Amino acid sequence: MESVPRFSLRSLSQRSREELVFYIFILPWLIGLVLFTAGPTLGMLGLSFTDWRISFDDLNFIGLDNYAKLAADPIFWTSIGNTFYIVAGRVVFGTAFALLLAVLLNQKVPGIPFFRAVYYLPSVTAGVAVALVWIWIFNPRLGILNYGLKLIGIQGPQWIYSSQWVKPSLILMGLFQVGPNMIILLAGLQGIPKELYEAAEIDGAGNWGKFRNVTLPMLSPVLFFVIIISVVGSFQNFTEIRVMTEGGPGESSNVLIWYLWENAFIFLQLGVAAAVAWIMFVILMALTGLQFRLGRRWVFYEV
Amino acid sequence: MNKQQLSRRAFLKLAAASSSGIALAGMGPLRNIAAAQDTVELTFGRHWEAAFRPRQAEYDEGFMERHPDIKINITYNTWADHNNVVPAWAAAGTLPDIIYVHGSRATPWAHEGIIIDIHDIVVADEEFNVEGMWEESVRLYRVNGRIHALPYDHGPIILGYNKDMFDAAGMDYPGEDWTMEDFAEAARALTNPDAGVWGWDGRLDLGNGGSGFFLGAWGGATMNDDESAMIIDTPEAKEALDFWYNLTHNENVGASGAEMEAFPNQQPFRFGVAAMGHIATWSTPSMRAQANFEWDVAPTPMGADGTRKTGAFGSGYGITPTSDKPDVAWRYLREYLSVDGMIFMWSLSGRGSPARPEGLEAWLTSDPAPPSGHYFLEAMFDYAVTGPPFQSLAAAQVSQILSREANLLRLGEASVEEAIATITEEGNAALDAVADM
Repeated sequence: MESVPRFSLRSLSQRSREELVFYIFILPWLIGLVLFTAGPTLGMLGLSFTDWRISFDDLNFIGLDNYAKLAADPIFWTSIGNTFYIVAGRVVFGTAFALLLAVLLNQKVPGIPFFRAVYYLPSVTAGVAVALVWIWIFNPRLGILNYGLKLIGIQGPQWIYSSQWVKPSLILMGLFQVGPNMIILLAGLQGIPKELYEAAEIDGAGNWGKFRNVTLPMLSPVLFFVIIISVVGSFQNFTEIRVMTEGGPGESSNVLIWYLWENAFIFLQLGVAAAVAWIMFVILMALTGLQFRLGRRWVFYEV
Repeated sequence: MNKQQLSRRAFLKLAAASSSGIALAGMGPLRNIAAAQDTVELTFGRHWEAAFRPRQAEYDEGFMERHPDIKINITYNTWADHNNVVPAWAAAGTLPDIIYVHGSRATPWAHEGIIIDIHDIVVADEEFNVEGMWEESVRLYRVNGRIHALPYDHGPIILGYNKDMFDAAGMDYPGEDWTMEDFAEAARALTNPDAGVWGWDGRLDLGNGGSGFFLGAWGGATMNDDESAMIIDTPEAKEALDFWYNLTHNENVGASGAEMEAFPNQQPFRFGVAAMGHIATWSTPSMRAQANFEWDVAPTPMGADGTRKTGAFGSGYGITPTSDKPDVAWRYLREYLSVDGMIFMWSLSGRGSPARPEGLEAWLTSDPAPPSGHYFLEAMFDYAVTGPPFQSLAAAQVSQILSREANLLRLGEASVEEAIATITEEGNAALDAVADM
């Protein structure tokens, strides 16, 4: 009888062994991704073509009706516009502010650890607590913002209680939650070789020249990462809307994630909510793809 | 609908017979159906705030003593989250046996199969006496004429006032003969911008219960009786809203929406900076706890033609289809929502006005009830109407529209004409969308 050859790791090439070990290590994550993320995501796609409300018992396939219903709903388009407004504001100003803070906190001056902790603090505080604090900060009558403005002779706006000001208010609030991005950028800054700055100095570069020609290019992969996660995070920002504005005044802070929640949990139109979730997913994938494409032009990867 | 099954005199006779002692003593003789068999667990989804949970625990301990075969297990949601958690439970198939049901949710939850039809079991149980509940409160839970849940409380919204402010101004308190014009005059006289005091709290609520206060006095309403169409575009409704708008935004005698935000729960009246405000029976415990001034209540002011109307609303409990022991769930509810159960839970604690008139006299003796609390009773007997929307499957959508437009009106971002046009257009579209369901 012919013996079956025994499998041995040694029979694999070095590369195959490394690949095998790699897959064994990522297997727990992979299982989680398939079961708890990819699976439900695909399931949601299927449900978006149904009239799902609460029960699965009388589920009917309705094709693209949910998507057609969304396309015909002006509030859906308002929520898309609001989402892009807030995401753009938060990503642009938030990233710039995080970079500014990271550069400042990268200086060798006394007290830097204290300031790093202070700027990071809002990020380790529960989102609901932060939102509640900001409700009071934005309070037109008693809030510290309008109090400060009054001291310098300015009549403060109504902030989150005004259709005109609610989105800028949420963007302003986002500036104080840049702690994680600041830390990532700070780590990136500290990874830039000092020799490059020395070489730039020898070439006669000033502070701005060093920042523009050394810091920004060397930091560009980190900035790219920060922008990607900021876009995704801003799209999914639900807590502040839930606690502070509930999409108002009117529909002026009704963003996609709130619109989704309203359809799911207030109107019990879970099929419609599933369609909104998939539209959000497609928008995010498209934006991320676009960023990767644009990133080729400005992200500098050190070889 | 027969709101006045009992005359006021008959009611007072009946109520006098129920003393607060009966509530606790009455628990004992209730039927003890305890059996020697295995214990069954009854699960609940409730929303009580922490301060009221000991009362619930006390009731449940007593119940379990009377029924040793039943063990009670409660999941508490927050008030803000309960209505969102329940559909999630339902979708996941993890509903508890009994859930709290806000009056506005009964119709959609019955339609979605979140609560079951308990009509036959309720009607067949003569000892329970569903006729002894306010018909206005049971109406919230009738879906296609059949009872799907039962109320525990139901209360009207009437006029509250700060006695200290009236005394300081040397003015008479609001009386039974007050019209909306008297109310406006008093609000003007009591407003003091230098002291940061408004004559009234500026509240405008177009949703459940709240819409009746102003619109009703002019004979207006947000929706027709069967909730098939919006009728806020009538001249009467517009006149009522113009009255409110003028007081708030032109005469500045009421707090605007943004100004209200300076106060927890948007309640300037409760915090002593508005001389008058709307007040419901369920809000008297908070009022008693937070107001550091003397206050009382008066009837809702009448319209110019003598029409007096206000809104009322309430909450209840239902049994879910997930429950594999609806009979046991009913054994709990029939005691919990009996006269004695209501007096113990809501009347004596003052947590809310019970859905049974027989429990109201005991509520008047509770600490949170104001000196003239009987005006709440009169409102229930004489002129309070359960406020829409609650019968339509589009109630949630219509509520959102009404709430959004009322908010814009309060903030001064929408004119009365704009709000009426938007509510009419969007509300009717939402109602049309469910007309065939």
